[in-house]
Amino acid sequence: MIKLKNVHKIYPPDIVGVRGINLHVEPGEFISIVGQSGTGKSTLAKLLFAEERPSKGQIVIGGWDISNIRPREVPLLRRQIGVVFQDFKLLQKKTVFENTAFALEVAGVRPSRIREIVPQVLRIVGLDDKLHRYPLQLSGGERQRAAIARSLVHRPKILVADEPTGNLDAINAREIIDLLKKINSFGTTVVLVTHNREIVNGLRQRVVMLSNGEVASDVEHGRYKLA
Amino acid sequence: MTLIRIIKFAFQNIARNVWLSVITVSMLVMTLLTVNILLTLNVLANTAVESVEERIDVTVYFKDGTNPDLVAGAQASLIGLSQVRDAVRIAPEEALARFRARHEDDEAILSALDEVGENPFSYSLVVSARDASDFPTILSALENPSFAEFIEQKDFEDYEEVIGSISRVTQSVRWLGAVLAAVFLFISILIVINTVRVAIYIYREEISIMRLVGASSAFIRTPFWLEAVIYSLVATFITAGIAYPVLVSLERYADTFFYPANAGVLDFYLANGLLIFGLEFLILAVVNILSASLAMRRYLKV
Ligand SMILES: Nc1ncnc2c1ncn2[C@@H]1O[C@H](COP(=O)(O)OP(=O)(O)O)[C@@H](O)[C@H]1O
Ligand SMILES: [Mg+2]
Repeated sequence: MIKLKNVHKIYPPDIVGVRGINLHVEPGEFISIVGQSGTGKSTLAKLLFAEERPSKGQIVIGGWDISNIRPREVPLLRRQIGVVFQDFKLLQKKTVFENTAFALEVAGVRPSRIREIVPQVLRIVGLDDKLHRYPLQLSGGERQRAAIARSLVHRPKILVADEPTGNLDAINAREIIDLLKKINSFGTTVVLVTHNREIVNGLRQRVVMLSNGEVASDVEHGRYKLA
Repeated sequence: MTLIRIIKFAFQNIARNVWLSVITVSMLVMTLLTVNILLTLNVLANTAVESVEERIDVTVYFKDGTNPDLVAGAQASLIGLSQVRDAVRIAPEEALARFRARHEDDEAILSALDEVGENPFSYSLVVSARDASDFPTILSALENPSFAEFIEQKDFEDYEEVIGSISRVTQSVRWLGAVLAAVFLFISILIVINTVRVAIYIYREEISIMRLVGASSAFIRTPFWLEAVIYSLVATFITAGIAYPVLVSLERYADTFFYPANAGVLDFYLANGLLIFGLEFLILAVVNILSASLAMRRYLKV
């Protein structure tokens, strides 16, 4: 599903984002990217949804080589990859329903179809009783659920979550991780970026540790040891 | 469906910074008004030149006792010239009557006329030209030997001078107006760029989320282009709305000047208004779309 071959990202003039990354992720995998702050985790995530282009190397997503993806093709990629961030990126002036519907609206989906899909995904994330709340009327965990719902409307094959629990307390964090596990169980490949040791250890899934922009370790059923 | 959403976004852009929109439209209206003032001025100048040209005439006075048939012959041969609009024969009695009428308040002149006793006027021809530049031809036609010797005097005013000064004045006003319109257009472009820049700034969060969830670049950009077109359309309508009553009262005022002809400004706009405002809208819309594109290229990273 995801193949990285010797991927480098150098920010001008010479700041290393990542270097020499080789990574294969199978369909349906749940992979955690861990490492200290500034080691290139977010850079790696951005490379996956073409927010950044590799300086060197090859990135293939579902058979599509996006190493030199053209700007006009990026929207197509974004409709196949769901993305979730630490800061939710919800629009404050829109309700949960509207925030979720927004991703479909900009893709030109019919209103009748939107009314069908949005309640479905909001049921999956457990917000079906808070459709008409605004982000400010939600807890942090609920906001992240809304953001996840939005990332799911296109039924993405891959979900990239960059520190989705970074702003949440332990209980909310666990619930979000459970939600990601649930989404993964439907067959979606999940790439989770985190530096939360407890979460990673609880997952018992594949863990890739980055250090100074390079892969330091890559283990199945990994535990997050301090490097 | 997508079109409706794009239109909705465009109107949201406008509504979210109403004041900037008002300023933008005002500046566009100023620019269009300047252009239309220029046009109106042009029409007025043409009317003025025409009306002066219409009044251009030479009065040819024949010697006392010239045979009326000879005068009629001269009249016929002048009318035959393509440069001559008309040649009117005035008999001595009519000339006297006109003279009396013109000076009916002037006792001294009238009593002097009575003193003379007999009619001091002779036959005359009033020859009007089609164009000021036709005068030399007409004057040389009057050298015709078959009646030249009966001509006492040729009288004409130098209208070239008048026409020259009209066109000098309009020329300089036209220049000034064109410079002013260009300056206004330039300011308009800057204001449109700034308005779109601010709209992009206000929408930065939405835009970044749109990109994240897979909105195409066209979907993101089109509302800003549409915004530019809407500004152009509104400005054109407002300009037309201002222009119409102004033109009506200008026409009423100027008509007294050009009586019995009319100033022709209103007629000109009634005949060509759709074309004029349509063209102005098109040009403005293209300029504004380009300005919006410039702003997006600079401030919108899509
Ligand atoms: N847009 C950018 N421009 C320049 N340097 C950047 C940019 N984004 C990240 N970096 C640098 O790249 C390195 C990796 O950053 P990042 O991928 O955000 O790390 P992490 O997510 O692991 O904290 C850091 O040194 C960071 O300063
Ligand atoms: Mg990061």
